[in-house]
Amino acid sequence: MSREVHARAEQLIAQGRVEGISAADQQWLRQHLADCANCAARSGATEQAIRSLRGLSVALPPALASRTQFRVRMRAEQLRSEPRWRMVWAACGISWAFGAATAPYVWRALEWVGHRLGVPNIIWELGFGLWWALPAAVVAVILLMENAGRSTEADWKRLEN
Amino acid sequence: MADDKKSLALGLRRRDPELLDRLIEQYQYRLFRYLMYITGNRERAEDFFQETWIRVLERGHQYDGKSKFEAWLFSIARHLVIDWQRQKKAQSLDALTHPDEGAPMEFADDDPSPLHLVLTHESEETVQASLGKLPAIYREVLLLRFQEELGLVEIATVLSAPLSTVKSRLYRGLEDLRALIAGGPA
Repeated sequence: MSREVHARAEQLIAQGRVEGISAADQQWLRQHLADCANCAARSGATEQAIRSLRGLSVALPPALASRTQFRVRMRAEQLRSEPRWRMVWAACGISWAFGAATAPYVWRALEWVGHRLGVPNIIWELGFGLWWALPAAVVAVILLMENAGRSTEADWKRLEN
Repeated sequence: MADDKKSLALGLRRRDPELLDRLIEQYQYRLFRYLMYITGNRERAEDFFQETWIRVLERGHQYDGKSKFEAWLFSIARHLVIDWQRQKKAQSLDALTHPDEGAPMEFADDDPSPLHLVLTHESEETVQASLGKLPAIYREVLLLRFQEELGLVEIATVLSAPLSTVKSRLYRGLEDLRALIAGGPA
């Protein structure tokens, strides 16, 4: 038999396992393997390699699933609170935009109230500053509260591990 | 089957905790085995296992409900490993457990039972050793094809690689594995 015939057989042996071959090729290969001991041995070795690969086992670490389920649930809890955050930022954005648009009027209104009440300029000017900083102050408080919550969560994770 | 995938996609989009618990149970062995074989390290595989499920939770809405869930799952796991590797400035998946560069793969249980020892055939050890000698890019496709029984297109999805690349890796990997098990050069 020529080298080309063996090369074709070798190619079909692998192709049959990887992507499949036509019925005609299967027929040809069967006949060739019946006549050629070397190619038959090669086919057997390939089959054996695949069978061994399928038979390999790996030991699972203890409680892998339950530990993972716990972590996933913790993360799910965290994610559930995220839409609230989006709302906080959106509210702040709107508040700042509104604040910027109305700043001249608020300034004049505070100035008028300040003069009517007879308070020093610095007082109503500080009031204006405070009015501007209020959204940032609200976000800062929420952030601080959230961070406190996260550290508690981290403690729980450490305990779990 | 298509309905199953669609309801799975819907549950993932809703981040259904019961569904996630069930999926973790159902795929724990296959995912861990895959991670073990591509990282070659139990602890690392365990870390990636947990991270993969966190990603599944976070990006569940990206599962289209058309492809096989396991293909999507393995592709998430694979990307995590690749990202981690990039952070470590490695060049490719292969560098992770390349026989010439890394530590040998750890497959054995830390505390194997007597029964396990009896049942562990010499041939299995030979195959594991041979597999450990294969470059990771070939090992990975062999496992996805012959252990996970994924189709060629699904493997291409997991690898984000062309079908021709998947095929050539499979042919080369199978040939090398056969030669290694037979005791010849890879």
